Amino acid sequence: MISFHAASVAVPAALPGDPDRVLLRPTTLELSERRIAVIGCNGSGKSTLLRLLNGLVRPTSGAVAVDGLDSVRDVRRLRGHVGFLFTDPLSQLVMPVVVEDVELSLKATVRDRRARRAAALDALAAVGLEHLAERSVHDLSGGERQLVALASVLAAGQRVLVADEPTTLLDLRNNALLQRTLFGTLEGQVSQVVYATHDLDFAARADRLLVVDNGAVAYDGAAPAGVEAYRRLALGSVGSGDGSPAGFRSGSC
Amino acid sequence: MRGHAMLLGLRIPGSSPVHRAPLWAKYAVLAGAGTVLVLWRGPWTALAALVLSLLLYALAGRRVLAAWAGPLRSLWWLLALLAAHQWWLNGPAGALSVVGTMVASLQLARLLLLTTAQADLVDGLARAARPLRFVGADPEAFALAVALMLRSIPAVVGAMQDVGDAARARGLGRNPVALAAPVVVSTVAFAHQTGDALAARGILDRDPRDP
Repeated sequence: MISFHAASVAVPAALPGDPDRVLLRPTTLELSERRIAVIGCNGSGKSTLLRLLNGLVRPTSGAVAVDGLDSVRDVRRLRGHVGFLFTDPLSQLVMPVVVEDVELSLKATVRDRRARRAAALDALAAVGLEHLAERSVHDLSGGERQLVALASVLAAGQRVLVADEPTTLLDLRNNALLQRTLFGTLEGQVSQVVYATHDLDFAARADRLLVVDNGAVAYDGAAPAGVEAYRRLALGSVGSGDGSPAGFRSGSC
Repeated sequence: MRGHAMLLGLRIPGSSPVHRAPLWAKYAVLAGAGTVLVLWRGPWTALAALVLSLLLYALAGRRVLAAWAGPLRSLWWLLALLAAHQWWLNGPAGALSVVGTMVASLQLARLLLLTTAQADLVDGLARAARPLRFVGADPEAFALAVALMLRSIPAVVGAMQDVGDAARARGLGRNPVALAAPVVVSTVAFAHQTGDALAARGILDRDPRDP
């Protein structure tokens, strides 16, 4: 269960005297569905919303908790419970060899080196990548890298996954593979997946969908209707089929 | 941003006696050979060290041996220049002693990198840095910082190539001063993302009561 209690995020203005810049207006949400998609325009606050879940961003006011772990007070335990997957796997992978990177996630919890190696291989096997264990992360394809990053962020037994545009850099085939891994292979380990995406087909597979616009949740409900709401928001009331410039101007993006 | 394989050559996995040797033994051989090469500098010591490096590479396996000549392919002109200079100053024995010592030291140091997992190197570094604890530093953080530095070299090289390509695509020249700013910006952005990723994974999050 993910809960936002009037959580908001603001950053100080660049010039003194200006009002603070609000990234997320006070938001209250209870998310218990298995798959939750977050869509919205660039700069709408999607990433801020996701980053709150792992303690990467602290709420300026209000509170965020995942399965009872507060994102500020219990941030260490929270990060052992919530894994966070970024768009670019290369900025996420630290060690040069696949299995060593997964081991890094286990360093704090598994002291014995041999047990750590075994646990890392298990984590790779969970996403079907045990055959890549000894490979250099630079030799992998983009899709393989993203799956390795996924294995790394879930290696310590995280039960909730937050993913910020995980498929943006992937081709169609790897995109499908990642979705299959998230929604199929990992179903047993991961109890909840929250993901932001610009891929509307991917978003439509969610059990619940949030459309974020201008720092607030503009739609909250079933996925297909949410995708339609987002189209109207982004392209204007005329819909996507029209394509007239006037339609673009009337949207709030 | 592009990724690049390491300059000095990535590890070649294997199970030879050299691969399995403990890290301290590898360092002992490296330090011992280095000391001997400096104290008894001469053509024969250099030659002996070169032969030793070849023997150890051969012991480490066929694939490692094949990697022996790797750096010579790109550095040969530098070594040739140095050898010519030394020959002129000190004769052939002097040239062999200087160039041979350099190549042998380089090869022995590379062997350590080629046959050791970076996780082991980082662990070893953390152990060696344990005395830092007395001045209030965290040896694990120190070792991780070194690992991050090693990994960032190819990332920075990739950023330089990307920026160079972008400049050429717009018909701009390759003025290194003009390219410096975007390279620094993209490097800082990369560092920021890496920091976020480390924080998100809880790496270095330790219970303060933990020994």
